[in-house]
This record gives sequence, structure tokens and C-alpha cells, in this order.
Amino acid sequence: MTVPPRSLTILIAALGGEGGGVLADWLMSAAHACDFPAQATSIPGVAQRTGATTYYLEIFPAARAALGGREPVMALTPSPGNVDVMVASELIEAARAMQGGFVSPERTTLVASTHRIYATAEKMQMGDGRFDSGRVLDAARVLARKAVLFDMRQCAQDAGTVINAVLFGAMAGSGALPLPREACEAAVRERGKGTEASLKGFTAGFELARASAPPEPAAAGVPHGAQAYIDLGVARLRDYQGNAYAELYLQRLKALHADPQLLAEVARHLAVWMSYEDIIRVADLKTRASRFQRVRREVGARAGEPVIVIDYLKPGIEELASLLPPALGRRLIGWAAKRGKLDAYNVGLHVRTSGVLGFLLVRGLAWLKPWRPYSHRYHEEQRRIERWLAAIREATPRSTALAIEIAACARLVKGYGETHRRGLASFAAIFDALVDHPPVADAAAQAAAIRRARDAALADPEGKSLSQDLGKPVVWLSKAP
Amino acid sequence: MERQFTEEIRSLHLGEGATFRGEGILAVTKALLQSGVAYVGGYQGAPVSHLLDVMVQARGYMDELGVHVEACTNEASAAAMLGASIGYPVRGAVTWKSIVGTNVAADALSYLSTAGVTGGALIVAGEDYGEGASVALERTHAIALKSQLWLLDPRPNLPSIVRMVEKGFELSEASSTPVILDLRIRACHVQGSFLARDNRAPAISMLRKLAAPAAFDYDKLSHPPATFRQEKVKAEVRLPAARRFVAEERLNEHFGGELRDIGIIVQGGLYNNLVRALEAIGLADHFGSARLPILVLNVVYPLVPEEICAFCSGKRAVLVVEEGQPEFIEQDVSTLLRRSDVPARLHGKDLLQMTGEYTVEVMVRGLARFLARHEPSVDAEPGTQWLARADRVRQNASAALGAPVPARPPGFCIGCPERPVFAAIKLAAREVGLPHISADIGCHAFATLEPFSMGNTILGYGMSLASSAAVAPMMQRRPLAIMGDGGFWHNGLLSGVASNLLNAGDAVLVIMKNGYSSATGTQELLSSRAKSDQSIERALAGVGVQWVRTVDNYRVGAVAATLKQAMSTDHKGLKVIIADGECQLERQRRLRPQVAAALAQGRREVRVKYGVDEDTCTGDHSCIRLSGCPTLTVKDNPDPLRSDPVATVIEGCVGCGLCGENADAAVLCPSFYRAEIVQNPNAWDRFLDRIRNAVLPA
Repeated sequence: MTVPPRSLTILIAALGGEGGGVLADWLMSAAHACDFPAQATSIPGVAQRTGATTYYLEIFPAARAALGGREPVMALTPSPGNVDVMVASELIEAARAMQGGFVSPERTTLVASTHRIYATAEKMQMGDGRFDSGRVLDAARVLARKAVLFDMRQCAQDAGTVINAVLFGAMAGSGALPLPREACEAAVRERGKGTEASLKGFTAGFELARASAPPEPAAAGVPHGAQAYIDLGVARLRDYQGNAYAELYLQRLKALHADPQLLAEVARHLAVWMSYEDIIRVADLKTRASRFQRVRREVGARAGEPVIVIDYLKPGIEELASLLPPALGRRLIGWAAKRGKLDAYNVGLHVRTSGVLGFLLVRGLAWLKPWRPYSHRYHEEQRRIERWLAAIREATPRSTALAIEIAACARLVKGYGETHRRGLASFAAIFDALVDHPPVADAAAQAAAIRRARDAALADPEGKSLSQDLGKPVVWLSKAP
Repeated sequence: MERQFTEEIRSLHLGEGATFRGEGILAVTKALLQSGVAYVGGYQGAPVSHLLDVMVQARGYMDELGVHVEACTNEASAAAMLGASIGYPVRGAVTWKSIVGTNVAADALSYLSTAGVTGGALIVAGEDYGEGASVALERTHAIALKSQLWLLDPRPNLPSIVRMVEKGFELSEASSTPVILDLRIRACHVQGSFLARDNRAPAISMLRKLAAPAAFDYDKLSHPPATFRQEKVKAEVRLPAARRFVAEERLNEHFGGELRDIGIIVQGGLYNNLVRALEAIGLADHFGSARLPILVLNVVYPLVPEEICAFCSGKRAVLVVEEGQPEFIEQDVSTLLRRSDVPARLHGKDLLQMTGEYTVEVMVRGLARFLARHEPSVDAEPGTQWLARADRVRQNASAALGAPVPARPPGFCIGCPERPVFAAIKLAAREVGLPHISADIGCHAFATLEPFSMGNTILGYGMSLASSAAVAPMMQRRPLAIMGDGGFWHNGLLSGVASNLLNAGDAVLVIMKNGYSSATGTQELLSSRAKSDQSIERALAGVGVQWVRTVDNYRVGAVAATLKQAMSTDHKGLKVIIADGECQLERQRRLRPQVAAALAQGRREVRVKYGVDEDTCTGDHSCIRLSGCPTLTVKDNPDPLRSDPVATVIEGCVGCGLCGENADAAVLCPSFYRAEIVQNPNAWDRFLDRIRNAVLPA
């Protein structure tokens, strides 16, 4: 029998708590059953506390009996370009492996789950800080000798098991392991904990990996284009404040005479802005039947299990003022802002919205809808919207690109309380510095400056980047536009 | 404790001829029993936690053998335990994470090595260096040198490691000197097998007790005038004895090869990667058969001068492959060669990189340089081609990915009780300003990472309060020290609290009372015994702390208020806030089986999960910046009119309550909800549900 020249190398990238250690044990035990010399090592440390970690194995694919007492010397660290099977329990971990050089077109079979678990750095951004999954998938297909990519977390959930079982099955199914399927399954059985579910997950992974082309996730039917947005906007605003309000939306759009791309951008932002989240809107959304159904779904309640929903509301002076007539509301806000008391009188309410009394209390707020057009907040928002639209109208003849950048600034105004004030301040600062009094005459340069400032405004919640970018301090409580 | 070692305990029982399969550090544990240890101690920490953990869990079997096991409160007390081997012929072993643990133990180690030992004394040090390391990157070698403790660095396979444990005791006894067995992270976790031998019950032990203490012998005391004699004995008796033993027992190994003009001297622990590097160049096969001579130092201190000189004699050049800085072995070899006028050119850190883990790639780079200079007959082309290919693979990947992949460092677990305290600090700082924060070692050090990014210094385990001593007097705002209960008992009570009281300090100390030494694997502390344990409170009162407040971590608003109070009170003197919240890992480990059993019996159980209403969330993620919980994350905005992702609570939420508290305390947004799912509802639950269903829209 000819002795193979080298060991097969396997690098497993996983997150703490996904059973990467158990997967390594399974592989070791299957290799042992085949009498193949094998070694595994890892760097768990504190990485089990939700961080990324790796396990590295080498398996010599020949029975010890055939080696005449010789023992392969196995490395303890993986080497770039020298990994035969790269396993990643999550998509960005696959990307990390690629970045480290552990996925090569000559050698590597990449077995990776396509689901995402976002890193803190991605999810804490004020806008969208997520890494582009599409790029990772494309890269995987180009960089690996063979790529086995599918949503293994979903597979594991369907089988009622942990992702490591599916990964193991997919490794075996990829054909890259020198271990027969029976040996792998025997290893899972040997460990004897949740065996049935693990084997089910293993089989699912095995079958999907063996299929020549694993199923692509269906692209969600996301509507786009101006007309789609306008239709959605009209429906949203009809629901929000009735037909007349929806009509106002259409009139505002008509006055733009915009090209389709600009129209789409404005249609989207305008609908969102006009359906601003005041206390009436929040109360309305929180007391809909569809909402209670969604909660049941999200928390995984089974049929027959009552679900009690408690909402955390903390209305304060701003919320009260927003409901008052404009003159009164303005005066109250002015008084509170001057004394720094905007957040001083918030009342923390833990409302059982699913209970009869709690429901009626919240629903009662939603019934204030007819009053909305007479409220302070309504007047403020319409004034800001008009200022924004006017700026877009003014910019349109100069440059569509500039108008689009101005339109996109609406994205900054979102949230509640302090978040909302911060967004308004950023919006106002950008408008003052770059829209109303642009330092450059060139429309393209102005558009670029606005884009840069907008990115800076979304870079940190303290407004440091924006201040730096605009060269002057951005004060949260500055008068809103 | 975080891990159950049922299977591993079984393999500790293995007898002569049986095959032990498992992790390196557990092989060490088995080897200790085979060597007849009478006592074992240590302090937990990766990568050696398992050694002690498995022995603590195997208490019954240890009692049977007569092996005394002690989970020490810090490495100094573990090192001092070895004092038993000074006057009595008993073998003992202690373990800790190095360099940090060795530093803490250094005082006792100096005295121990000065007095010398009668029974074999072994220190199993987990060399926390390279990828996965979590401490300051320094070498244990330095401490071995200055205290003259022998240092073993075995080849990273189980038979070698086990042999070096057994030989380490013999070396210790032959030279009356404690021995350090140094194991890198990956060697501790390497899985393999070895042929077991029977365990040996110690001759003197808790089962076979000594009748009387050893006779008074001043030379066993590290105290003048004996210390002057002992210093001489170290150099003139113990060192030569050790060198003799190493040479006679052939603890270092020779491998290879026909290229006799050059050679490599390598630390045992690096041998496997060296062989792989030589294989990449074409100078070794997969079984370690190399074309050039290799001297593998399983004992890196002391070196045997004759061995080194004999290896280097007749060679043009020798390369020392040694990880970490400074290059102690290279310097040692250099001295030996110079003294003996051996002309071989010596290389090491001039060709290999000074710092960082010696991966195969690093070694190939160094070897290629070495060969180019001294053995032009060898074509290192395959190696350099491989390096170029590796570079290309990485470049292609970076180009294809377009941007660096986001880092994913470890962080607070789901529902961790320490996270809300940092949320509260963030909120309090908005009102009273951000204080100077002295961070510490422990899970709470994760607050130095995003989304909290808090902490000005880290000076060691339990050192936070002490490290703010000189900051406080020059700071308008009171500094804040964070310490875990692990750090408090390890060191903080004395170094921090007592010192602060002695000097009438005015600092604020937050003690995370989570009930365990959590970061190292939830080992027990003095205050772990009962849920209502008051030993921290009593210790503080006992030394004279007057201002102590205990807060429930999850009440973010209350914690923030207490912090503000501590920062602004007129009370002069140390102010301690005990942040009380059990480690969620342990809590869940306890609760999960209870809940499962209750559900199986049909008993009513209320499950709590938090959630975010996707239609009211506006995608600003300030909730995430105040939490960082793994289950509070983002998803695509279901609203086609918006682009920023919305917050969502995914599966795994343990319902700790932080989301609700943050929403309330920080006045975040009304999107959070708390759902109580009534499992196995009773008649009353069902009745209420019917009423609700009648009123609420369906």
C-alpha cells in the first residue's frame, strides 16, 4: 500500500458556544476508528465568551498499521495556502479565513454556513454597518477549490440540533474527508448526547453538500422604483392620517418635477417622514392584531400558551408638548429646553398592552388620531418637511445628484427623544453649513460635501465626526430647521 | 464549574498498558498521578484551568489515592504550597497561567528555589503566548533564569509531555530544585494519546501522615545567613547536578541529517511546526526525518554546555529557533560557544522575527534566509514559492472581499450581569461626566471593547483600585475602579482596598459580585458557597470601609443613581458599590434542567423573552450601543421604504431584563417589549386569556 505524502488539514472557525470542540472530537474519534493518526488543537481561552475561535486538525489518511511504526509529525498551527478543508460556522468567519489566506484555489474545500451573526462593530452603527454578504459569497466561489455554502443554522434548527452536526455532515458530504460516512455517524453515536437530533442534522448537511448545487436563498421580492415607493407611501399615509394626507403626499411629489431616481428617493423618505412616529402612531402600531400575532411568532409561543406583552413607554415633556396646540407646545418645549429639563419629567410606564386595561390605555392614545393635524409636532414636522422639499426643488435644476444628496439627509432624522434631537441637530447643521450657505459653488463638490457630512453624522452618536467635518461644533439642542 | 469532566475523570483511572486519549493538559494530570504526587494546587486560568478543575471534580478518587487538592486563592499561595517539598520527601505540583501567574507567585518562588527541595516540585505553567493569548506577552523563561528554576519545554505530543512530567520530578529531586513545565496554549489543548501506567499512591500523604515535623535545619530556611550558602549551592551543586541529569537521561533529543555543516537548535514546543517548515522547503518528510541536524531542547534551562558545544562543533552555522523576546536561549548558547571557542556562526532572532508566535510561515521565512546564507547547496525555492503563494492567496482574498472583515473579540455572554453595570456607567457619565476608569482582569475587561469602550488602564488581576491611587489626587472627578469578586479575593482586598483605607483615599470601587471566577471557567471563590453569601461585605466592613452600597445589576436606573451618588457624595473615604448579579452562565446551567423537569411534569412555567417592534424601531441602534448583548442584533428592515436595518432580539435571549431597563433608564424608544409566555397554563391563565381575546383585536 502506498503511503500518502501528507496529512489532510482541517481548520474550523466557529463562535463560542457552537460546539466547535465537539465537532473536533467527532472528527478525532472517526479518525481513530479508521486507525488514522490524527491530532487536534485549539485556542479556546476566553473566546468561548461569544468571540471567534478556531480548531485545527490534521488527519493522516492511512492506517497506522501500514506505517511501520513511523508517526507523522503534525503541525499545531494552520498555514496559509495549506488548508484542505476550511469549515466556518458563520459567513464572516469564512471571510476571516479567506482574509488569513486559509482558503486557496489549489487545495481548499470551503464548507461554510451562509447565515450571519453580526459582530458588535457592525450592529452598533447608527446607520447600516453590516459587511456585504454578497461579496463574501462571491469571493468564496472564486477563492475556494470547491465551496459548499448554505444556511446550516436553518438546517440545524429544522433538525432540532446544534450547527456543529450539520457542519460535520456537510464536511463528510463534500467528499473532502478521508473518513467514510459510517465512521462519522458512529462518532456522533459514540458521544451519545442528543444523538438522534445530531444524526438528523448530519444527514441534512450531508445531503445538501452532496447535491451539486445547494439551493440558493430566494431573493426577497423587494419593490423598488419610484412608482412602487409612491404606492407604498400612499397606502402608508392613508393608514396614518387618511386620504387627504395621502393626497398631500402626492401633491408634494408632483411639485418636484423630478427625474425617476430623485423621485424614488424623495418618495421613500417623504412617506417615512410624513408618517413620523409620534405617540399616537406608536400607540396605534402597538395595539394592532397583526402586532400581537407577530410577537407570538417572534417569541416562539406555541398554540394554547398565553402571551403577556409588556411595553416600555416613558413619555415626557416632548411627548406631551407634541400633542398640544402649536402655540402651547412651542412654549412648553422652549421653557424645558432653556432649563435643560427636556428629559426631567419622563414617566416610566410598563404597560401590559396585552391586558384589557393596558390595551384600552394605549388604544386610547391611538384614538387621538383626528387631533393630530392640530398638534404642535404636526406643525413642526410639516415645516421641516417643507424646508427640506424646498431645498430639493431649488437644487434640482442645478444638479440631480445634488438634489438626491439633499433628499438623503432625511435619513438622519429618526428615532425618539434624545436620538431624534441628535438627528435633527445633525440635519440642521448640514443644512446650515452645506445647503443654505454652501462653501462651494460647484454642485458636484457640494453634493460630495453633503454626502461626507451625512456619513460623518452617522459615524458616532456624540457628533464628533460631524463637528470635525463641518469645522464647527454641532449642538444637539440647536434650533431645529 | 463551567465544564463537567465525567469522561476525563474516568481516564485518570487508566492502568498500565491502557491507552489514554485526550487533551495535553489532562495528560499532564494523569502523569502527575503516575508520578505519585502527594499534593496539587494552583489558580485557574487558560490554558491550564482543566488540570485543576478535573482534580477538584475527581475529589473522591484523589481522596482514595491520598492526593491533597487545593484550589488556591492566587498563584502566590499555590507557589507557597510547594514549601511542603522543602523538608519532606513528597512530590507536589502546582499550576497557573503564565506570565501573569508566575509574576504573582514570584516572591514565593524566589524563596522556594533558594531553600531548594527534597521532594520533587513541579510547576505546570500555561504559557499564554501567541494567537489566543489574553495577557501581557512576556516569557516565563525570564523568571526561570532569575530564580534558577529549571524550565522544560517538551515536544508537543502526549508521550513527550508525559515523559517530561515524570522526568521533571526526577530532575527536581536529583538537583534539589523546583522545575517548571512550560506548555503553550496549543500544546495544552492538543488531542492525542499515550500508553498509560499505573497511578502511584504517595508514600507520605493525607492517608499516611507524618508523625512529627522535620528536624530543625537552618539550611532549609531562606533566611540569612543560610541564604548566602544557598546562593553558592545553587551555582556549585544544583546546577551541575541538573546538567548531569539532563545529559544522562538524554532529555534533549537529536534528529536528522546529512547536511552536517549546519544545524538547528529548537525549543521542544516548536519542534512540530519546525518539521512542517522544513517539509515545505523540502528538507524533511512528513514523519520528521530531516536532512539537517536538529537539537531539540526539551529542557531549555539549564543548557548542557557539552551538549551545545558538541552539536555546534564542526558546523559552519547554527540557527536557534526560539519564540518570544528577548532571545534568552540564543544568548545562553552564544556564551557557551564563545567560552569554548566553537567557531560556528550563530543565528536566531537576526533571521527569524523577534516577536509573535512562530507559525510554520514565520519559520519558513527565517529558514530560507538561513539556508541562503549558509547552505547554498540547498534549493529553498519550494519554501519561498510557497511563501509567495500564501501572500498571493491573502492578497486575492483582500481584493475580493473589498474591506477588512469586522473583528469579533470575545464579549459579555447573553444576559451577563456585568453588562447592565456598564450601561449604567455610560448613563451616569452623561450627567456627572466620564470618570477615569481603572479596569481590571476578568470578564468585565470586555467593557474595554465596543460598544462600551471604557477603561484607562489595566494593571493586573485585582489591581484596579491600587492603580488609581495616584490618579485620584490629581483628578477633579473621583476615579472609578472596576473589580470582579475574583480579583477582589485574588489580590484586590489587600492591594486595593486596604491600601486605599490606609491612605485615606477617596476613590469609588465597583465590585462585580457574580459569584464565581467566571472568565477562567466559573470556578468557586470564597464567596461562592451560598447565594446570600456576605463574605465580601463582611471583609469590607472588617477592614473599615464605611460607605458600601449593594445594587441589583439589572436595575440600570438604580445602579446609575448609586454611581452618581458615589461620585458626588460629601463622604470622604473609599466608596464601594457591590454590583450583585450571578454569572448568567452558571445561573442558566442551574435553571435549565429545573425548568425542563418542571415542564415535563406539566407544571406552570413562565418564560420571558424580550423583543423589538420592527415597525416602530427607526434603526438608530442606540439600544445596541448601550448593551452589546449577542441576542440584541439587527435584521433587514422589513419596511421597503427604509434602508437602515432594525434592531431585533434573536433566539437565545434569556430574558435578563436589561433591554427593558435600558429602554426605561436611557429613555431610548418605545419599541422594546417584554413577552411572558405562560407554558402549561392553568385554568386561571386560560380564563384571563379568553377575556383578553374577547377585547383585543384578533
